[in-house]
Amino acid sequence: MTAPAWLDVLNETLDACAAHGRADLAERLRRRRDQRAPGTRIAVVGFPKQGKGYLLNALLNAPVCAVGDASTPAVPTEIGYAADPAAVLVGHARENVPVGDLAKELEVRPPGSLRRVEVGLPRELLGTGLVLVDTPAIGDPRSPRTAATLDVLADAHAVILVSDATQELQPAELALARHIRTWCPALVLALTKIDVSPDWRELAARNRAALSETGVVADVFPVSATVRQAAAKAGDVALNERSGFPELLNWVGEQAARPIERTRALAAAVSVRAAAVELVETLQTRLNAVSQDNGVDQITLLHQAQRRTEELRRQNVRWQNMLSDEITDLISDAEYDLRERTRVIVRHVDRTFDEGDPVQIWPDFQTWLEENLAEAVETNYNWVSDRSEWIAQAVASTFGPHYGHAPELPLTGSGVDSIPEVGTPKIERFKIGQKLFTGLRGSYGGVLMFGLVTSLAGLPLINPVSLGAGVAFATKSVRDEGGMRLQRRQALAKAAAQRHVDDVFIRFSKEIKDEVRQVQRRLRDHFAALSDQLSEELTRQRELIIAGSAERDRRTQRVKKEIDRLAALHRKAGALGATARDIRELSA
Amino acid sequence: MTTFDVRELLNEAAAHYRERPHAVEMLRECLERLDEPLRVGFIGTPGTGKSTLVSALAEWPTRALREIDLFDTPAFAEHVDATVRLVRHLDPDELAGTRSVGGSAFARQTAVNSVLVLGRADEVGAGRIDALLTAKQLARRAWREDPDCAGFQGVIAVAGQLGYAGRALRDDEFEVLRALASVSRPELERYLLSVDSFVDDPFPVRVSPESRKHLVSRFGLYGVRLAITLIRTGCDSRLKLSAELVHRSGLGDLRDTLAGCFVARAEALKARTAVLRLEGLLVAEPLPHGDRLAARVERFAAAAHDFRELRLIAGIRGGRTALSGESAEEAARLLGAQGLAPTERLGLEPDADPAEIHAGAESALVRWRHEAERADAAHAERAAARVIVRSVEGLLSLFVA
Repeated sequence: MTAPAWLDVLNETLDACAAHGRADLAERLRRRRDQRAPGTRIAVVGFPKQGKGYLLNALLNAPVCAVGDASTPAVPTEIGYAADPAAVLVGHARENVPVGDLAKELEVRPPGSLRRVEVGLPRELLGTGLVLVDTPAIGDPRSPRTAATLDVLADAHAVILVSDATQELQPAELALARHIRTWCPALVLALTKIDVSPDWRELAARNRAALSETGVVADVFPVSATVRQAAAKAGDVALNERSGFPELLNWVGEQAARPIERTRALAAAVSVRAAAVELVETLQTRLNAVSQDNGVDQITLLHQAQRRTEELRRQNVRWQNMLSDEITDLISDAEYDLRERTRVIVRHVDRTFDEGDPVQIWPDFQTWLEENLAEAVETNYNWVSDRSEWIAQAVASTFGPHYGHAPELPLTGSGVDSIPEVGTPKIERFKIGQKLFTGLRGSYGGVLMFGLVTSLAGLPLINPVSLGAGVAFATKSVRDEGGMRLQRRQALAKAAAQRHVDDVFIRFSKEIKDEVRQVQRRLRDHFAALSDQLSEELTRQRELIIAGSAERDRRTQRVKKEIDRLAALHRKAGALGATARDIRELSA
Repeated sequence: MTTFDVRELLNEAAAHYRERPHAVEMLRECLERLDEPLRVGFIGTPGTGKSTLVSALAEWPTRALREIDLFDTPAFAEHVDATVRLVRHLDPDELAGTRSVGGSAFARQTAVNSVLVLGRADEVGAGRIDALLTAKQLARRAWREDPDCAGFQGVIAVAGQLGYAGRALRDDEFEVLRALASVSRPELERYLLSVDSFVDDPFPVRVSPESRKHLVSRFGLYGVRLAITLIRTGCDSRLKLSAELVHRSGLGDLRDTLAGCFVARAEALKARTAVLRLEGLLVAEPLPHGDRLAARVERFAAAAHDFRELRLIAGIRGGRTALSGESAEEAARLLGAQGLAPTERLGLEPDADPAEIHAGAESALVRWRHEAERADAAHAERAAARVIVRSVEGLLSLFVA
C-alpha cells in the first residue's frame, strides 16, 4: 500500500507543531496519523441529561446505554458490529459481560478501574465497520469525564452533538460545537426530546441561527426517542418518520458509507488545517510580542537613547562649570572668613596689651590666645567642610535622582592640634638694682642742681634741700624708666602675639586651600567617572538596540517564513480534503 | 437575643456611624426591614423554572405565605432573609455550584436559610408517569446522602409549571381534560406520545386544536398525561384535580417547608440578615471603637438558639443524626418543626391547660437531660440532646414569669 498523499502534509505540520512547542497539537496530529480504525467512528457527545443514552438506544433499537436517572458511565462506550450481542469491559484486562447486565456492572465498578466499554451488536447499520461512541457527559472542565470525552473526540471522524429541546444551546455548548467543528470533518446537532417541547420548531430555528453565528457548519436534526420507541413497538412507519430518526440515520449511513481511506484523509486534512491555524496564531502572538517590546518600537528607543546622550553632554558642561565656580568661591570665602576671625583676635590682643602688663597677664593671655585661635580655625574648617558637602550634593543633583550620591570627601580634619605654642616674648622686669641705679643717677642731678643754688646762700652742697630735690629727682627718673620699660614690654608682647596669629593664619589658610583643592579633585574625578559610565551605558544601549533590531528582523523573518509554510500546508490540506467545506481560509 | 436587641444594636451602630450618611441609610433600611415581611429570594441558572415557581407561589391565596415577599433572582443576594435555590438536575457538577462560598463565621454558622429545589421535576425519568415520585425519591436521597445538600433546610422536587397550572386550573380546562379522559386509554395513548401528535389532527374527540395547544403549553405533555390519569382514577371535580396536581407537583411541599422553616422563624431570620449586614459594614468601614459592636454581633451569633434548632431539625429530617423513628419525630417536634407554640412543640391539643403543658415539658426535660448526659452516646448525639434540652427549658421559662 502506498502512503496516502495526506501523510506528508500531516507529518510536516506535526514537525512544525513539535518544533514550536505545541506538543498538544502534535499529539493530536499523531493520533490522526496513527489511527488504524477499520471504519468510521462517530462520537455522541453532550452535556448531562440531554438524552444521549436515549438517542443511542433509539438509533440502535437496543437498550445498550444507561438512560434516565442511572448515572451515566464515566468511560466511553464503543458500539460496533458483532454477529452476537456482546459487551466487554476494558480495564487492565478485558472482561466479557452480558449486554443486558452492562448498566448494573458499570454501577459497581470502582471509578478509574475501566478505560472503555466495547459493545458488539448485530445491526445492519454497523455492518460497514461503523463505530458509535457514547461519551461521558461533559461537565466540569477539570473532571476526568470531560477529559475522557475530549479524548474520544480526538479520534472521531464525525460527531453528533446532543442538546435537548427544552432549552436553547448554551454558550458552553456552542463553544463545544465550535471546537468539534474545527477538528472534525462532520458535525450534526441532534435536538432531542421534541415530543415534550411544544415549541421545538422555533427552538431548532434559533439553534441553527446560533450555530451559524458562531461560524459552525452543522445540520440540526430534531428527534424524539420516545416516538421512535413507540413506532418500533407498533411497527408504525409514519410515526417513525415523525420521530426524526430516519433523517439522522440517513446522515449516519452517509458517514459510514464513505470509504475509510477517504474519511481518514478528510479527518487528517481538517486536523492539519486546525493545527496550522492554531500554530499560526501562536506564532503571530510571538511575532507581535517580538516586534513590539512592550509597545515601544525600536525607532522610539533609538530616539530616546539619542536624546539621553545629548542631555548627558549638556549635563557635563553644567556640572563642570558649577564645580569650578563653587570651589573658587569657597576658597576666597574661606580665606576671608579665617582672616576676619584672626583680625578680631588681633584687635583684642592690641586692646589687651594697651592696658595690661605682659609680665602679669601673659600666662593667662597665652591660654586665651591659643583657645581662640583653635576655635577660629576649627569653625572655619567646619564651615568649609559643610560647604564642600553642599557643593558635592549640588553637583550630584545635576545628574538626576538616580545618581544623586555624592562621593565621600577627603576631609582630613582641621589639624587644630598642630597649632604651635605661642612663643613667650623676652619680657624684662624692672629689677631692684636697676631701680636703685636709675634712682641714684636721677638723684645726682637734683642734689647737684639744688646744692649749687643753696651754696650761694651759704649752705653746704649737701643739705636737706638738695637732698630732698635729689630724692624727688630719683623718684621721677625711676618712674619714667619704669613707664618706658612697660611700653617696651607691651610692644614686644603685641608683636609676638601678632606674629603668632599671622603664622597660624598663613599656615591654615594654606591648609584649607589645599583641603578644598583636594575636595575639588575628588569631586571632579568622581563625577567625570560617573559621566563616562553613563555615556558608555548609553552607547551600549544604542548598540544593543541596533543589534537587537537586526536580530529581531531575522527572527521575524524566520517566523514569517514559518507562517507562510504553514499557510501553504493549510492550503494543501484544503485541497486534499476538498470536500471539507467552509473552513476559514487562513490569512497569514 | 431578640429582635428588640437587634434594634438596639442597629441604633447604636447608627449612632457610631452618624458621620457617614450612606451607612446610616443602610442601617435605617435594616431597621425598617425588621418590620416588613420576610424576603425570600429565588436563585438559579436560567431554565430552572424560577419565574414559574415565583408566580406559582406569589399568586397563591394561602395564609402560610401571606407573610413573605418573593424575589426572582434578587439583585443583592445578601439582602434577602432566605433563599430558594433551584437546580435542574441533582448531579454533582450542578450541586457543586450551589455550595455557598466565603462569608463570615457568623454567616456560615447560621446558614439555615435556604432550601434546594429540583425544578422541572417532571423531566426526571424522561417524563414517565411516575416521574414526580422518582424525582421526590431522588431529592430525598440527595438530601440524606449528598454532602453538597447537607447545608439546606430541605431538598424538594417541584414541577413548577404543573403546580402553577394545577393551582389555577380553570373550569374550561378541566372540561377539556375530562373530555380527553373519556377516550379509552389505548386509543388515546398514541395521541399523548408527543406534543405534535397531541396538537395535530385527526383527534379522537372534538376538542379544537387551539385549546389542545393551550392545554399542552400550560400543563406540559407530562402534565396533561398526569391530569388525564388522575381524572380516570377518581379526581372527578376541578377542585379535587387541582388539589391533587398541587400535591403531586411538590408545590405543597415547598409551601410547607417555606412556612415551617422560614415564616415561623421570620423574626430570627430577619434579625440574622440585619446582623449580617451590620457585620459586613463593620468589616468594610471599620470604626475606631468598633470592637464593642463586633463583640455584640458575635454574641448574637452565639446566643441565637433559633438557628441551632433549625440546623438540628434539618439534620434530623435529613437523617444525619443518630436519632430515628419515634424519638426523631419527638425531637423535631420539640425543636419546633411543627410550630413554635408550646402545645405544638409538646404535641398537645391546642387548648391544653397550662398545668398539662408544664407537666409535658417537665417530663420531656427529664428524658432529654438523660440523653444529654448518657456516657455511652457519641458527642454529636449529646450535643443534639443538649439543644433539645435548651428548647424545652425555653418552654418552661414561660412559666417562671
